[in-house]
Amino acid sequence: MIKIEQAAWDVMVSHAESTFPNECCGAMLGTVDGDEKLVRVAAPIKNAFTGAQGARYEIGPEDLLAADAAARKEGMDLVGIFHSHPDCDAYFSETDLKNSCPWYSFVVLSIQKGKFHHANSFLPDPDQTRADKEELQYPR
Amino acid sequence: MAKILIPTPLRQYVDKKNAVEVGGSTIGELLTGLTTEYAELRRHLFNDEGKLRSFVNVYLNDEDIRYLSKDATPVKDGDTVSIVPSIAGGTRRGASDIK
Repeated sequence: MIKIEQAAWDVMVSHAESTFPNECCGAMLGTVDGDEKLVRVAAPIKNAFTGAQGARYEIGPEDLLAADAAARKEGMDLVGIFHSHPDCDAYFSETDLKNSCPWYSFVVLSIQKGKFHHANSFLPDPDQTRADKEELQYPR
Repeated sequence: MAKILIPTPLRQYVDKKNAVEVGGSTIGELLTGLTTEYAELRRHLFNDEGKLRSFVNVYLNDEDIRYLSKDATPVKDGDTVSIVPSIAGGTRRGASDIK
């Protein structure tokens, strides 16, 4: 289960809406206790995909390294990645599955006509063949 | 000894440590030492052919080893090695989408 605190959630939604109609991305920092993850801080990261960003995103390794360093400095962990699907449902696409390291929780925000609509979290398997839905709690 | 920073999801395989000190003179030796001591870690970092998985990037201090000497990149005492995953995706639909 992954739970997102209000302040972090506000940052995620704001970032996803402000980058619409492009996809956005970012890191989720917080704490992990077994299967329970708590997201306390959301750190928007520049979409580094070099083509059209309406249907693709990419996080530069240096940016992720910086996010991990920031988390460690604050006594937190990098617990997951978020990105948006503009005018699409919050599903985990084949593109997501094949192009992402499967170690983390992946929260997908559906942004419909520029406004947040719904979100889901996914946990890919180590061989990137499937991703199960993870229970997601966010402020409503 | 160099310090290898362990990503959060992999700490369960290294006695919950967030960093591990490993001896070795190259990146290759360090990673071999790490995955010999913590064997469960190996499948998460390397594929069946023994090569780093495509989504695993390794940084020596702040530099990607692909732009240094890859596995043969020399390491000295006090260096920090980071394991940094590749992350990308998008909405393009495919047969295996999870809804």
